[in-house]
Amino acid sequence: MLVTVLFALTVVAYAASAGLYVLFLARGTEGGATWAARVLGGAVACHVGFLVGNWVIGGHLPTDDIHQALAVMSLLVVLLFLIAARSRKRLQVLGAFITPVTLLLFLGAAFRRGVGPVPEGVRSALLPVHVGVNILGLAAFALAFAAAVAYVIQERQLRQKKLGGLMQRLPALDVLDSLGLRWVLIGFPLLTVGVVTGTIWAVRLNPHSFGLSAAQGFGLLAWLLFALVLLLRVAAGWRGRKAAIGTMLGFLCTVLVLVGYLLRGVGGIG
Amino acid sequence: MGAGHELLVIGMNHRTSPVTLRERLAVEGPGLAEEVRRLHDDADLPEVVLLSTCNRVEVYVGGEDRERTAQAVASWLERRAGEPVGDFLYVHHGDEAVRHTFRVASSLDSLVVGEPQILGQVKEAYAAARSGAAVGTLLDRCFTTAFAVAKRVRSETEIAAGSVSVSSIAGDLATKIFGDLEGRRVLLVGAGEMGEQAAKHLRKSGATLYVLNRSPEKAEALAADVGGHARGLEELGSELAQADVAIASTSSPRFVITPELMKGVIKARRHKPIFLIDIAVPRDVDPRVGDMDNVFLYDVDDLEQVAAENLTARRREAERAEQIVGHEVVAFEKWRRSGALKPTIVGLRKRVRGVLQAELERTLPRLGDLGDKERRSLDKMVDAMTNKLLHRAVSELKAGADTPDGEALVRTVRRLFDLEEPSAPAERRAGDEAVMKKLQPAAGRGKAS
Repeated sequence: MLVTVLFALTVVAYAASAGLYVLFLARGTEGGATWAARVLGGAVACHVGFLVGNWVIGGHLPTDDIHQALAVMSLLVVLLFLIAARSRKRLQVLGAFITPVTLLLFLGAAFRRGVGPVPEGVRSALLPVHVGVNILGLAAFALAFAAAVAYVIQERQLRQKKLGGLMQRLPALDVLDSLGLRWVLIGFPLLTVGVVTGTIWAVRLNPHSFGLSAAQGFGLLAWLLFALVLLLRVAAGWRGRKAAIGTMLGFLCTVLVLVGYLLRGVGGIG
Repeated sequence: MGAGHELLVIGMNHRTSPVTLRERLAVEGPGLAEEVRRLHDDADLPEVVLLSTCNRVEVYVGGEDRERTAQAVASWLERRAGEPVGDFLYVHHGDEAVRHTFRVASSLDSLVVGEPQILGQVKEAYAAARSGAAVGTLLDRCFTTAFAVAKRVRSETEIAAGSVSVSSIAGDLATKIFGDLEGRRVLLVGAGEMGEQAAKHLRKSGATLYVLNRSPEKAEALAADVGGHARGLEELGSELAQADVAIASTSSPRFVITPELMKGVIKARRHKPIFLIDIAVPRDVDPRVGDMDNVFLYDVDDLEQVAAENLTARRREAERAEQIVGHEVVAFEKWRRSGALKPTIVGLRKRVRGVLQAELERTLPRLGDLGDKERRSLDKMVDAMTNKLLHRAVSELKAGADTPDGEALVRTVRRLFDLEEPSAPAERRAGDEAVMKKLQPAAGRGKAS
């Protein structure tokens, strides 16, 4: 009961915070970012309460199933964002892109069509590693995604010569570009470990199957996309809009992996 | 402060007078206190503030006598100008003068609405007048209120938002692309005036300037002028490969920066974004360059379009600012009128009681010996007579406290009961028309009211 209440409170607070951030981005309401951040702080408190409640009452460890993993990951996204925005005030406005993503991930945690906890037979020592690195990696990609979306919007404003408040409130292109690069650089090694452990695990479970499930396929596609973005950035000096779009596509692929798990359950991947 | 003590503004601004005239009238720095003293002491104006900027020369006076004040100020101006100035002057009085003061301080009357310098200039003018002890209750209250109004306008409206000059817009855009401009390379191609200004603006934000020109001497001279390094035009490609911002303002009839050139440049700079500002007419940069990835091209029309939009936005905000000013003017006039009311009521009582008392004193000797008790009764009777006589008058005065009618009533009462200062001339409300006729010969510009 308590956990359910905390869940509802978290959802409401995230939604309110997202609304405030978007309003601040669109209108530049006075003190809008401060209020949005306060509400977000409240959401984080409820979120932590929800996780602890689940752990203590339900006995679920965060790595037990996809729902717990999502709940932890969405918290991580917000925490990373709050840390980044603390040192650079101009990044606050990115909350308009971060909070909706967080809300969706958190809502995913409650999506119960798939199977519950990972069945005993499927568990292995690799599982916590696999889930842990993926949680961290995806949180970093979520931030890279937000920076990329902001980049694409800001670039559009500059190209269309629309120098309104929206352009004024969004951070500079160069800042967004290097931010996107930094977070992809953090996320990529983690995702690499995640894909490798996932593959080993899947092969162990079902040694005779060489076909890829949809989730595995998207996981690999995401990895390839991020690898391509990084390679082109480093080798060919690729940057700007194309890099931003590559980052956005990569993140969307990782989200599709999660959707696949949610719809078919972990047991169904073999 | 007497009932007739009001604010007058006599002066000229960028709309009513040519700059050649304002130049001659301008009073700078240390001269300000001296000229204020001249107006205060020699011209015998009770309260004076002198505001002199490149766009306006205005004298703010708190005084009783509109006509004499206007003439004193006009003759002071004419002495300085060495020619008649009546054609260019406006005279504001009463709440219009207060409104004018608030509008000037809030930068609503400026050539560029919302520009930030004017408030500082008004503050300086006020400080100079104060140091010369030329500021009394009225001007003191008026100017300190004006500063508060300006602050309100600035914080409650977006009147100062958005750049309105081409060079500062170029700076804003560069900041939106690169963030910090510290250590960025800015390339100035050609020697146009506007380009030079934009380059200087960027240098102030910490960028390093490189100047390219067809003739090396010109490049050196220009580099020295804007504080940059000179380069030959043949280095255009390699300089573009390193620059973050390039400002083109050559007089070349053909495109100087073409897509073919930029293709190589973009490769050489490994897709680092570049901001191209084309201020030349005819244009220096082929517009197709603007479609290339990581190239941001703005030409002079784009920048002026932005300036115009920002100016329109400021004007919209100015309307909101005018409302704030309007409310503040009403509040100020309320304060001023209530200030005149109290001395009028006190003076009226004193006058009536004085007359009654005097008549009583004249009659007393003929009444023979009266005891203390009888004397006290008679005193009470005088008080009662005063109160009864003035009851209606006082309540009418109080009722009209905040209205223009009430102010007229105060003046009437002061005149009927002879409460004016003895020096005030009887016909002083001859009207502004008379003042203006004297200040404005046949070809009146119709600006003043």
